[in-house]
Parts: sequence; structure tokens; C-alpha cells
Amino acid sequence: MEADVLIIGCGPAGLQAAIHSSRKKAKTVLVGKPNNSSAHGTDIENYFGVVDDGDTLISEGLGQAKSFGTEFLEQNVISAGKDGDVFVFGTDDGTQIRSKAVVIATGISRKKLNVPGEKELLGKGVSYCAVCDCNFYKGRRVVIVGNESEAAVSAKLMTSYASETSWVAWDLTANEAVVSRALDAGVRLYNSKPKSIDGSGKVESLTLNDGTVISVDGVFIELGAKSAADIAMDLDLMPELDDTIKVDQECRTEVPGVFACGDITGKPWQVAKAVGQGCVAGLNAADYAKGDKK
Amino acid sequence: MVTELNETTFDQFVESNGIAIIDCWAPWCGPCRRMGPIIEEVAQDLAGKAGVAKLNTDENQGIAARFQINAIPTLLIFKDKVLVDELVGLRPKESIIEFVNGL
Repeated sequence: MEADVLIIGCGPAGLQAAIHSSRKKAKTVLVGKPNNSSAHGTDIENYFGVVDDGDTLISEGLGQAKSFGTEFLEQNVISAGKDGDVFVFGTDDGTQIRSKAVVIATGISRKKLNVPGEKELLGKGVSYCAVCDCNFYKGRRVVIVGNESEAAVSAKLMTSYASETSWVAWDLTANEAVVSRALDAGVRLYNSKPKSIDGSGKVESLTLNDGTVISVDGVFIELGAKSAADIAMDLDLMPELDDTIKVDQECRTEVPGVFACGDITGKPWQVAKAVGQGCVAGLNAADYAKGDKK
Repeated sequence: MVTELNETTFDQFVESNGIAIIDCWAPWCGPCRRMGPIIEEVAQDLAGKAGVAKLNTDENQGIAARFQINAIPTLLIFKDKVLVDELVGLRPKESIIEFVNGL
């Protein structure tokens, strides 16, 4: 699939960017899941002229973006890269998108599981990066924790290293094909929320809310979609230490053709700021893609 | 430029520096790549006080196993040839320097 502008994330920032980009007649593709937006399930009280719930705001915004020509893919980005001047992305249903410009509007990742043992056993069996740490678990037992396709991809990866790979998902939203690939590779799936990570000085087991105890050497916490920080690095863009992405007043990043807006650019984490930046990013990304502005 | 260690040079580096900070990393690890420039700055700021080096854990798996490294980036901190702590995960320059100044 070819696009002028690819927008990752469909919260207020990404939707506003899509509205402005598609209104400028740039071929705009929007990728994301509305329920992953921080506006999901909230009441909006401090956004000028609007008193409504976040889900209605997103639903209306998505309708507006589509009415201007935005193509919406309710998927997650699982790979990112460059092919010369073109940005190339893969989604969890196998779609490949090539775009001239990209807008990162993913919001801030919330990667912590917040269970007992998680902090204490970090580096002693608890990891947040399967790609980074898979090599340390050759012939050992691991469990992946997470509901989305990123967790399924990590689980499949770990089957090439670990002697046993389990996967814990309590609200599975991963793409079916990605799940199938993980299960076909020998991953054992559990459907209960983690309660605690246990061990004395090192990870020994993961206990689930339903009482199941999984004996493991490593717990890989892979919550949510591929993070903006990971996407940024795949595009040769170095994120800040707090995982935010630095932009100028035009919402440009350090990499030409890559724009960012919303919570991912830092505080304040407010709808008003998100849509303001979304407008700027969408307009500038469309101009960039059409060669009107560098 | 931060010295890149291997299985042969690792022990000598630890023995020849009163305080030795070794950044364990791998090329495909995103957080490790972000740690790289931070370690360069730490090396400059602690010049004369601590020796700072890097170790590719993929190419030097014996050292990784010896220190039971399970996650990267990990900073191995030695004082007088003794491992005093392991700092796991991406962290700002200031926190590394504060830790070393507290040794």
C-alpha cells in the first residue's frame, strides 16, 4: 500500500493530523486502535467548547478523517524502517505501507505491569525487551506477558532460544494470524492476569490470578503496541531518555519527513495540546510528502 | 572514545582501574544504542576518576554468563577489582555519576 502520509496512532493528535493531511489532498493512511488512546474511557471537561466523553470524541474525529479521505487501518504497527527516502511499515495483519512522510502520534507507552516482584527482579529475570535479551535465555524457560501482537511476535521469537515458551494474555487483542504463528511455533498460552513475579534473587515463577504458577527463568513484559521509542529508532531517530520525541514548532523531528505530535512530544498531556500539534503535524507532513516544504 | 573490551582484555581493564564502569550492550538492542552517547559523556565527566568501557555481550558470551547478565543494557561497576553493583536499564548520565561519586 502506498501513502503520502502515514499516521501512527488514532487518539486526538493522530486524528487531527489525519483530518488536516487528508483535507490537503495528501493520500493519508491512519494506523492504530482507538481503544489504545489515553482518551479512551475518559470524560473530557477541559477542552474548549466540548464537554463529552473521550470515546465519542475519537469516534466523531475518526468519521471526520474518513470523510476527507483518510484510509483507516485498525491494526498495530509491528515493524518500521526506511528504503531510501521512503518509510516502510508493517502491520500485524501483514499489510506493508510505504509512505513519503510519517506522523508519530502513538501517545506515551505504559509498559509496567505493576505486580509484586517486577521491580525487585529487573535484570534478574524480568525484562522489557525480548529482542535485546533473548540471547541470554538459550535453553531456559520463559514467559511473555501481554495482550497485543507485540507480545505474540516476542513469544514466537523466544521459541528460537528458550526450551519452553509460555505466553500470558488476559484480554487478547493480538492479530489472529500473529497468534497462530506463535502457537504453531510451540508457545503455550495462558488466559489469566499475572498476580506476582516470584523468586529469591532471581525469577523462579510467575503466579496468575487464577492460581496457576508457571515455573520460569525469565519474564518478558511486552505490554501494548510497538512503542514510539522503538519505531523512532527504527527510523534513525533517537528518542529522549523519558521516551518522548523532540519536535520543533513545526512538529518536525530531527529526521526529515518524520513528524510527531501529542503526548509523545512531552507534557502537558492534554487533548488541546494534542489536537493543536496534530493540526501542525498533519499540514506539514502533507506539504512534505507533496514536495511543497522540506 | 570509550574502550571496547573483549574476553581477553576484560580482566586487565578491571584490574587497572580503581573504579571501572563497563557498559554491557548489543547492537540490535534499542535501549543499548540510546545508552551509547550517555556512556561517552560519563567517560568524559569521570576522566581520571573511573575507567569506562563497553562490552558486546553477543560477541563475549562467556563474560555475560560469568556475571549472570540477563538483561541489557547493564552497567557493571567495579571498585578495587570487586563488583559492587549492576545497574540494569537505560538511565541518565547524572544518576550514573551520582552512583559512582557515592562509592
